[in-house]
Amino acid sequence: MRKRIFSFLTISSIAVLFTLGMTGSGLAAVAGDCNACHTVYPGMTEKTFHAKPFEYVSREMFCVKCHSTGTSDTIMELGGNRVPIVFNNSKPVKPLAGGDFYYVVFLGDRKGHNVSGVASRDTEFTGFPPAYSRSLDPSSVGYNPQKPLTCAGSNGCHGNRNIEDPFEAIFGSHHAANTPSDGSTTARSYRFLRNADAVKGVTGLEDDEWNQNASPKKHNEYASSIDILCRSCHGGLQSGHAGRQFNHLAGVPIPVNGEYIKYKIYNLDAPVARETVPRVSSDVVIPGKDLVSCLSCHVAHASPYDSQLRWDYDNIFTEGERNGCLICHTGK
Amino acid sequence: MSKQSTIKVIFIRSLGHFQSLICTLRSVICALCAMLFALCLFSLEADARVTGRCKDCHNVRSNQGAAQTSVPSTGNDCLACHGRSPAGSENIIIIGKSRFPQVFHHMQNNDLSAGNFYYVADSFDPDYSRGHNLVGISRQQNPPMDAPPGFMKSILIPGGMGPAYWPNQRQLNCSGTWGCHGNRTIEDPFKSIAGAHHEDDSILDGSTAGKSYRFLYGVKGKEHADWEYMASPINHNGYKGAIEANSMDTISYLCGECHAKFHPSPNLGGREEVGQAYDAAVWRRHPVDIVFNSVRGGFANSEYEGYVKYSLEAPVAYDKPTGGENAVDSSSIIMCLSCHRAHASPYPGILRWDYSSMTADTGKSTTGCFTCHTKKGHE
Repeated sequence: MRKRIFSFLTISSIAVLFTLGMTGSGLAAVAGDCNACHTVYPGMTEKTFHAKPFEYVSREMFCVKCHSTGTSDTIMELGGNRVPIVFNNSKPVKPLAGGDFYYVVFLGDRKGHNVSGVASRDTEFTGFPPAYSRSLDPSSVGYNPQKPLTCAGSNGCHGNRNIEDPFEAIFGSHHAANTPSDGSTTARSYRFLRNADAVKGVTGLEDDEWNQNASPKKHNEYASSIDILCRSCHGGLQSGHAGRQFNHLAGVPIPVNGEYIKYKIYNLDAPVARETVPRVSSDVVIPGKDLVSCLSCHVAHASPYDSQLRWDYDNIFTEGERNGCLICHTGK
Repeated sequence: MSKQSTIKVIFIRSLGHFQSLICTLRSVICALCAMLFALCLFSLEADARVTGRCKDCHNVRSNQGAAQTSVPSTGNDCLACHGRSPAGSENIIIIGKSRFPQVFHHMQNNDLSAGNFYYVADSFDPDYSRGHNLVGISRQQNPPMDAPPGFMKSILIPGGMGPAYWPNQRQLNCSGTWGCHGNRTIEDPFKSIAGAHHEDDSILDGSTAGKSYRFLYGVKGKEHADWEYMASPINHNGYKGAIEANSMDTISYLCGECHAKFHPSPNLGGREEVGQAYDAAVWRRHPVDIVFNSVRGGFANSEYEGYVKYSLEAPVAYDKPTGGENAVDSSSIIMCLSCHRAHASPYPGILRWDYSSMTADTGKSTTGCFTCHTKKGHE
């Protein structure tokens, strides 16, 4: 009898663990010491009015307070949780997949997004995002040029972009179930990129270290839904609305002929998006199936290079090291 | 053996060793020379594809246009590189390691082989009779010059068929269906030439736009390295001509794709429009893609026999051009470019010389028309 019970428990445990493993992210919702996050700065949970539910104060600082640090580490331990750092006050040693706002703060506006609470407002793009087209923004609210760029909400990228308040746009997501990763909720969207209700949230495979120690075999996997998110604010770059712009190809399959067929090994400097998000990251690139993405050339937050490019465009030569553009354009 | 004999033997043996050393050295030197020669030969055939820094041509971050340009919003992307400084004095602009031939500039007396759009440019003092009216350089001309003179519909061109008609007020582009360069079966000027600049063009077989003479799809020839800047009668473009006007890979056929009534090919104007090209030839218009050997009355003792040294002013084509031909003989071929420039020239009719100054039988001139018509300039 005991043997049977023991066997049953063992098998059940294995089954549970297996199931959790199959879902990819597993239980990646934030857990651990509440105080570590919820009192990250004094007065964070102070009551504002008597008999009214307490409110968080300085809510717009929430993202920055948890996801930034004065050191150069890009993954911090906070109350038992591993927290990705997107803004280092010291030069980051290993920037994460989205880049690091360090570069826009210390190297200038052209290096990345000028997010409120992190960087001062962009001196050139003072209103709408470059190539913004309201008709291509699925948000029911739309971008408000009178207000700054935020981490989340209708003036940002993360959370539900149908909600203007950045805090409300992401509220509850950190603790919510994040599987299946189908883009149906903010928590179930890749990196909480829900976009708006009119479209599905961004999907993808989240590297468990946010690409801190990425390699051609171990890395994020992107889907074309991330390009739809970028297009929500920069739609004119793809549709020609912005006039005679460089043709920003995104969501287009890598051609099966010509110079592109030589790009066969995944390169972190020119990542591709996948037609179908794989369960495990792969170092194989398949022309004709894999897609050019916005993130093939740009990083999402900020980079050391102008236009948030992944490489220094001013120093890419057809002779010498085959980097940057030449990763895909192998024949040049 | 005596001491003297021993010394003699040692000396002879040493001499022998020394001689074999000399022979070895000679062989090594010969081998090195052969390698050097091979390298030189290889470098002559090295491809001329565009290299260098991507940013020098591809300004992908520009909000004003598709590429860097000193003439913003012209609607002509080619000028961003090939007309960078219309008022400037450089016919070849060097940026980094890349050399850009300028087809639109103000360098005196140093136009490249195809000429200079300066002479028809609205921004200067244009005379539209001196060149092709390209988008971004000139306004469209009024009818009937809003269509190519001699245009014929649906003629055979490399890759397919020419357009069924020339739309009213359809202005010329650099490339594409309504232009000359690139694949003319593709209407979009950019798409018609996409990829050509980076293609390996070490062998110009006409198979793609990039492997064609000056990106003129299907045309063969030999490209002068500096677009005939400082060319000489022994170092020049090598133009492909056809011995019997039946080939689509000649420079004259390219002209005939738009000006079809001027070319004797059966695919183009043919006999009906051009006249009888051979056998007691009677030309209705000036002959092209005709070899000197086929002139009426025969080459021997004809005036054309007097044209013996290659002239940059009135060049001829060859069946297998090398760009180093100096001799002109019965196998040389008259072509469109014997008299005209491709882009624009200082003279009406896009001629290479001032036709109004051509006066026969004065004994004064051996140039212009009289380069070939050697007996008409003087007795």
